[in-house]
Amino acid sequence: MFLAAFTSSGPREVSPDATLLLRLLKKDVGAFEQLYDRHARLVYGLVLRILQHASTSEEVVQDVFLQLWRNAAHYDSSRGPFVPWLCTLARNRALDQLRLKSERQRRREDQPDRLPSVVVAPDYENALDEKRRAEHVRALMASLTPQQKKAIEMAYFEGLSHSEIAAALKQPLGTVKSWIRNGLLRLKEGLRAAT
Amino acid sequence: MKNCDQFRELLEGYALGALDPEERTALEAHLATNCPDCAKALEEARLLVSQLAYVAPEAAPSDVLKGRLMQSVRAHSEPQLQMPPRARLIPIWLQATLAALFLFSMYSAWNARRMQKEIREANARASELLSERQKTEQQLVMAKREAMIMMDPTSVKIDLWGKDSHPAQLEAKWHSKLGVCVMGEKVPMPAANHVLQVWFIPKAPGSKPMPSMMVVPDADGKLVFVVSNPPEPMDATKAIAITEEPAGGSPWPTSTPLWVGNVT
Repeated sequence: MFLAAFTSSGPREVSPDATLLLRLLKKDVGAFEQLYDRHARLVYGLVLRILQHASTSEEVVQDVFLQLWRNAAHYDSSRGPFVPWLCTLARNRALDQLRLKSERQRRREDQPDRLPSVVVAPDYENALDEKRRAEHVRALMASLTPQQKKAIEMAYFEGLSHSEIAAALKQPLGTVKSWIRNGLLRLKEGLRAAT
Repeated sequence: MKNCDQFRELLEGYALGALDPEERTALEAHLATNCPDCAKALEEARLLVSQLAYVAPEAAPSDVLKGRLMQSVRAHSEPQLQMPPRARLIPIWLQATLAALFLFSMYSAWNARRMQKEIREANARASELLSERQKTEQQLVMAKREAMIMMDPTSVKIDLWGKDSHPAQLEAKWHSKLGVCVMGEKVPMPAANHVLQVWFIPKAPGSKPMPSMMVVPDADGKLVFVVSNPPEPMDATKAIAITEEPAGGSPWPTSTPLWVGNVT
């Protein structure tokens, strides 16, 4: 099971994020600051990668963290790790901004702000720390074919659909779908193997 | 119609947000059937896609952003922190002690007010009883004095005859040391706001009647009073008269005497 890759078999420990989120629910400003310090670089890097504009990216990051401050209760730790939830939130905000900027009207109703509903162990983050995970994901992406990597990145960072990517790359739709699916499955296998 | 395996092929694209509308609509319709395997596979796909965030190189936002963000957060948190300062600074045990002291002081104040009220009421009752006792003692003294005047053989009897066919007759006795005692029954009540006033008429020619006590009979018409200090001695007094005068008395008679008795 792929989900097993995110489940530690060792003794369960409460992650720093989980502790900070509990304090955040009590409107602990110090906890919020620590969460920001822990994840602002990741979130800002993601948003900047999508928007390619520093000041607009900072506005989006501010919006994301303010939403975290106001609606921390919306995050349910029993339903998944915190960092993917935060990154999903940031990505959706950034893509909304990108669409607004480019006046694209394509809908993205398939990207809710919530995490997967399947229970993932809260000590998932102990299985692979953030830095190692980032390095591993980048290494896995680098191992994909250039076409797979390009198609996945266009979908993830630019919010383009299969058809739009096919049109942009002047490739058949089925080919683009295969690049993306096969690339993601290879990434999945690599993550599973890492644990 | 597609089966689950065919839908599974769409899950990564769906999690990525890359499906075209037709495929997305079809997949969502299938997911709406609560297919447990596809739902679980979708969560795996979403978790997988979320890992792509690490592909983006980390970058440091400006310190200005953090400052702005913390300022906003602190501004939002202020209402949460606006607890009563004393409540945060004073330990709970001290708050409880202060609350107990406050309640005790409130009770003490209430109890003191209650006791003061009771003392005032007791004093009033005592004063009333004392007044009644003094009155009774005075009545007793006067009764003794009346009896002594009336019984003493040295007292001089004076009949007070009613004028103008006044029905009642009063009897008086004058004791040279104890004074004059006047008694009578069936004495008519004077008019409203009027009293009966006693006059001593001196023997000296040209002398004016000397005003004395003001009295009223009781509800049964009984009249008893003692003039302890007559204005003139007995041998200098020609007669005793009683007139009806306005309440408060008069310095001289304003009406015809109702009773007159010669002092012999």
